[in-house]
Amino acid sequence: MIAAEVLNEWYPVAMAAQIRAGQRRVTQLLGQTITVDCQEGAIVVIGQGGALHVTEAYGHVWACPGTPAHDLFPIPEASEPGRRLVDVGVVRVKCSPLRAVENFLDIAHFPFVHTDVLGAEPHTEVNRYEVQIREDSDEVWATKVTFYQPQAAKSSEGGIVTQYMYRVAAPTAAVLYKTCPNRTDAWDVIGIFVQPLSEELCDVWPWMALYDDVSPQAELIAFQQMIFLQDRSILENQIPRLLPLDPGMEIPTQADLTSIAYRRWLKKRGLTYGAQMVAA
Amino acid sequence: MTPRWTATGLSQDLPKAVAVAGYGHGHDLAVWRSATGRLQAWNDRCPHRGMRLSHGFVRGETLACIYHGWVYGTEGGCKHIPAHPALTPPTTITVTAFACVEQDGVIWVAPADMAGSPPAISGMQPLRSISLTCGVADVLAAEPTLSGQDVLRGLVQIGGQTCGVCLVVQDSPAGLTLHVLCGLGADKVAASRWVEDLRRRAEAKGAA
Repeated sequence: MIAAEVLNEWYPVAMAAQIRAGQRRVTQLLGQTITVDCQEGAIVVIGQGGALHVTEAYGHVWACPGTPAHDLFPIPEASEPGRRLVDVGVVRVKCSPLRAVENFLDIAHFPFVHTDVLGAEPHTEVNRYEVQIREDSDEVWATKVTFYQPQAAKSSEGGIVTQYMYRVAAPTAAVLYKTCPNRTDAWDVIGIFVQPLSEELCDVWPWMALYDDVSPQAELIAFQQMIFLQDRSILENQIPRLLPLDPGMEIPTQADLTSIAYRRWLKKRGLTYGAQMVAA
Repeated sequence: MTPRWTATGLSQDLPKAVAVAGYGHGHDLAVWRSATGRLQAWNDRCPHRGMRLSHGFVRGETLACIYHGWVYGTEGGCKHIPAHPALTPPTTITVTAFACVEQDGVIWVAPADMAGSPPAISGMQPLRSISLTCGVADVLAAEPTLSGQDVLRGLVQIGGQTCGVCLVVQDSPAGLTLHVLCGLGADKVAASRWVEDLRRRAEAKGAA
């Protein structure tokens, strides 16, 4: 029995362009088989109990298997002129959807998992940053995050200290804002939209809204795919596969403030699909 | 579970400054050899975020987790957290260490307080390790000249010659592994083929 709090959220289930191109997708959502299809110009998601609530945003199809508790979260940058919107595709990962999101919120792993790209020794220190759960939007935010990066983006030349903001916008969706190598007055925006196939299996759909007029689309996608495949080698080797929400099972430090807040937020809201509640 | 020594690999397959995945006494293990050759077996899980330490990297006399680079020293204590270079890690951050010895070319593990030595295997040379999709009973059924429980011993025909063999049993949830040693005079290529043939025969028994 899946909690109503879980069922009433929005989850990504497909890339909209693929469905509109006639590629019907039979997949899983929270352990149930669903079909994502385009019928007479409208995208529909059919589950065992009939049609699910559907919305289309940020290049993806989103479905709610229950009664939506709220609208899908906004990403205002998605409609800013001049940004390139990039659907990166899908990476299947054998882990809890919550572990995939938590890894996306983590910077301390950059020098070891994304070596010489998003981080490099000896630049391993994570400076103090700020984390809050914003009551108005009910989102987790981390701000004033800085980190030295040898190649922060496809369009980077040489190392820079990158500034970041992180945002958990839904239980299985997060958005980051990072220094744009080409513009000082704007942030690059990268999202990961995680489809929970089951509690221990997910499809990860990265998505980007960048200021980059130069890099070919294929190279932007390849860069982001490389990053997520490096993350996958970690995510499929964490024990347990479920994300432990109770303290005691894992030991965080100051660098993990975002992860700590994310776990608390999930627990408080009863969003425990993919979580382990009792220390084993 | 009664404490006992479990074989988790052959010494020759674990060079200096390398970590590998092992198994013993109901635990997934990170078995690793330091730069100077010191052998250790730890619970295969970093206490920080649960990453398998067997994927980590050895530097000098330490093993570091591949996820965030947390460094663990002798006996499993955390020595360094790269995200906070100035911090001295609390002594409570520790990975459980197991007893780990190598004897006769075989790496053995046991609970940390294990007394005594692993079974002796004298007059043999290490050959290879092999994984099987069947049980020990199927191996004994396929090769009735072998006998034993944790260490199977016997005289078998290899390349037209009678040869002593010793198959050290490692049973884990992932399946059966045999760490094989053969007589000092044996032709190792022929012996290796014999091991593969034994696997086919044992797995056929298991499937029957």
